[in-house]
Amino acid sequence: MVEKTFSQRKVGCHLLETDKARPYKPGKKPELGPVWDKDLCVRCALCYVYCPDAAISRQDDGFFDADMNLCKGCGICHRECWFGAISMQEVD
Amino acid sequence: MDTYSLYAGQLLPFKEYFAPKGHNACSGCGVALAVRHVYKALGEDARQLEKAVWEIPWGRAGIGKTENVSGGAQPALLSIAKSKGKPSSMLQICFDNECTEGTVDNSILIKRHPSIASASGYAYVATACPSYPFDLIEKVRKAWNAAGPAYLHILCPCPVAWGFDPQDTVRVGRKAVETRIFPLYEIAGGYYTITIEEPNPRPLIHYSKAQERLSGWKSKKIEALQQAVDSAFSELKSKENKNVNYPSNIRAEM
Repeated sequence: MVEKTFSQRKVGCHLLETDKARPYKPGKKPELGPVWDKDLCVRCALCYVYCPDAAISRQDDGFFDADMNLCKGCGICHRECWFGAISMQEVD
Repeated sequence: MDTYSLYAGQLLPFKEYFAPKGHNACSGCGVALAVRHVYKALGEDARQLEKAVWEIPWGRAGIGKTENVSGGAQPALLSIAKSKGKPSSMLQICFDNECTEGTVDNSILIKRHPSIASASGYAYVATACPSYPFDLIEKVRKAWNAAGPAYLHILCPCPVAWGFDPQDTVRVGRKAVETRIFPLYEIAGGYYTITIEEPNPRPLIHYSKAQERLSGWKSKKIEALQQAVDSAFSELKSKENKNVNYPSNIRAEM
């Protein structure tokens, strides 16, 4: 994508297209990541609702899983799970 | 189990609008959680760029500019209060993580921005917290559809500045509401409504003990602050279900 100079932009500098924006990948994976116990999980989606990094997504079978490229290991999902279905375990 | 498998969280749109490919906020960031839910509530309405990498354009200020960004709310409110014509439609959201204030005292803990905004003629003013996401989403939708300018004050717990474990972000925000230090209410056209009210409030020490930044509070200060919080909540409670719109001549002088 070509970067525009200041004079090439419209009046008011409204950005109608992104210049240098690219997806940001946190490089380092966290030490601990969430692991779901499917026997205890009731698919209430609380972990999905409270994830600040948008790492948790719903799978085809209705259960949830985390993308470890986005997860930062904060443990909110582990803390907020009412049924104790999420445990924080070491990531490979 | 499948009979009872419909939960409220499943009713949210599963599409991510805020940084679906990752962002550089800290672990357990309350602001990121709040922004994610605000964008999820706005959805397609706020979508401007069809081919953007991120679904909705966003920016994040560096530490050197936080004063300009965080201090923007108060001058903006004053400028609108001074202007004679009302702006037709505007949604202003303050993501408050209480980081740039110098000292922690009751003047910052008990928020005055919403009442200022309501007195300056905003059509919809509300406080929210990402610990109550459905309440937050409902308020963002109402603010977006309001017939005039709208202001939202969102308390976002910050694990780094407040000093608690990142996994307690949602718990600390919930404690702020349950101790009534940050009550959740909305002012729609001068009409107060307390949206979430805890019948048995927690004592204030539950909130202060959870954070490292408030570890210097002694019992005397906590007692004084408890009284301030109780009086502020009873004042808010006395305004509930009443129209407290200021007359237009007073509004012009403010």
